[in-house]
Amino acid sequence: MASQAVAHESEHHAPPPNVDADMVARELIATTTGASGRFKAWVWGLGILSIAGIVALVIKFIDQGDDSTKWGYVAALVSFLLSVAGGAPMVAMAPVMAKANWVRPITRIASLFSFASVVTLVMLIPLVAILPPLVTEGARRRTIWYEAPDYSPHIWTTLALVMLLITGIMLFYSAALPDFASMRDHSTGWRKRLGKRLARGWVGTDAQWRTLRMRIGMFGTFYFLILVFANFLFTTDFGQSMVPGWRDAILPMYHTVSGFQAGVAGGVIALYFSRKYMKLEKFIHLDAFWSLGRLLFALTLLWIYFFYSSFIVFWYGRSENDIATLNHQIKGPMIWAFFGAMILLWFVPWWILIWNKVRRGTTVMVMGSFVILVGLMLDRIRMFVPAWSVPGDQIHEKWLKVIPETYWPDIFDILIMAGGISLVAFIVMMMTRVVPVLSVWQVQEFNLLSKPIKYIRGHATLVAKPD
Amino acid sequence: MSKSILGLFQQPEPAADAMDGLKEAGFELGTFDVLTGTPYPEGAFGEYVPQHRLFRFPAFGAIIGFTLSVFLTAVTQLAYPMVTGGKPIMSIFAMLIIMYEMTMLAGVIATVIGIVFESRLPNMQPGIYDTRITEGWIGVVITFDDESKVADAESVLNKAGALEIKHA
Repeated sequence: MASQAVAHESEHHAPPPNVDADMVARELIATTTGASGRFKAWVWGLGILSIAGIVALVIKFIDQGDDSTKWGYVAALVSFLLSVAGGAPMVAMAPVMAKANWVRPITRIASLFSFASVVTLVMLIPLVAILPPLVTEGARRRTIWYEAPDYSPHIWTTLALVMLLITGIMLFYSAALPDFASMRDHSTGWRKRLGKRLARGWVGTDAQWRTLRMRIGMFGTFYFLILVFANFLFTTDFGQSMVPGWRDAILPMYHTVSGFQAGVAGGVIALYFSRKYMKLEKFIHLDAFWSLGRLLFALTLLWIYFFYSSFIVFWYGRSENDIATLNHQIKGPMIWAFFGAMILLWFVPWWILIWNKVRRGTTVMVMGSFVILVGLMLDRIRMFVPAWSVPGDQIHEKWLKVIPETYWPDIFDILIMAGGISLVAFIVMMMTRVVPVLSVWQVQEFNLLSKPIKYIRGHATLVAKPD
Repeated sequence: MSKSILGLFQQPEPAADAMDGLKEAGFELGTFDVLTGTPYPEGAFGEYVPQHRLFRFPAFGAIIGFTLSVFLTAVTQLAYPMVTGGKPIMSIFAMLIIMYEMTMLAGVIATVIGIVFESRLPNMQPGIYDTRITEGWIGVVITFDDESKVADAESVLNKAGALEIKHA
């Protein structure tokens, strides 16, 4: 076992003391009960918006289900949700696999987003019904499915998103088994019964802990592999294949990386509100925000790298095809969304996160994260709204000869987008009523492996690194 | 019918002493184990490390999924031959997406099955246990077929400083 001393710069940043294991169990189990009035008001508000969104989705499908050009905002929403709800659990996984100690207390919040992938699937349903088959009127449009049956994109993209949901939930469940045992031991009422049922006889033997570590690693790896694949299929089948001549090999990776950026931003927001309003300061240390800030900064820089890598190919290419793609995605009617995304996904977060003082606080960090999510929505709008605005009779052309006008959202689109995002927040908030918002055993493990120490004249945290 | 006793400790050091004591007293590896609410680093208690086969399950599932996907895509293309863009009927790039997805799907399903077997979950007879273990206490559980050894085990646990001993 190796150890590592993490120095803190001043008295102000002295690491908080460790909390006893019994207090960790009792206080975190107690967070599932006794919601505040503010919490209930938010849940009610989000619930009503979610229902309005679902109703609007159904009405829109009945009213406009035969016109694919009206569904760009729903496609943008699915892309947004795939990025945020799909990307956030990676925050729970990647640093854990790298044995980072700071991430242990926050993996639960990130993995709760796995359940929100249900919303991505719900919103995908009308798109699958409306997405044209590969061959229409004897002509085959250009896709990755050049020899496949007509409805291959419909089947395989849906299956990929279902697999993402199942793997995400299994990742959550695998890591939550010891906490279900804690609920069985220390909770009351239906939570105790649920804990008993889901703990499946967990007692904490050495073999159970070893297999727990392995299955978290395995499901984390599977989750990553499926997430990248789901991003690839969605961007190609529900984005590029809808526009004649839009061929961009970097787009799926761009979509995935910006999804990681949004996932971290979503994780920071959830962490901030849990820490502040559930009084979890002694369990969620500032160290977690500093580390997430560095990760978010790196991903923000990656956004501009991937965007530029994609853009420069079309800009240098200058073929009619390339010019049409640039006009369609960037310079044309969606230029407002492009500049909004550029400013909010890259420039503002870069300028905010570059300052050490900001990354060491929480308030500006959470504001930066909100900015990133707004920017991401604009980015998905500038990609998917014009893609779905191309009339069905033009998608077999070699390139886009007429750039469609900007399609502005109608009341249904606005309700669906607000409802979809609200439903994600609603699900995550409701899940905190079922399981502790922080993983009990991981907070205990954090305390077991780290110790605040006096280091010469400063303070440091001594971290054990078991291999 | 086997019998179990559980010694409870508040600190890890005496629990590790109890594990050492049980080994020295001649208890066979695998008849005693440590129960914790937190994953201590491997070997922290000098505990017996059993072999596992968990990695075989996803590998086996992935091989099955890959084989099925090759079969599905190849047979479909051979059954309905269509030449597209001058490319061969059996074109690997057209098959890759389905091959990848089915490999992943079977790998995930096999991992779930593997977990059920390897974690011994659901554990219908969890045996002797104490709820304080999820509050940071450490349990040392010993299982016997021969009841004459119960006194020896209790002696070891008491000598190591067990705060409480439970019988089942």
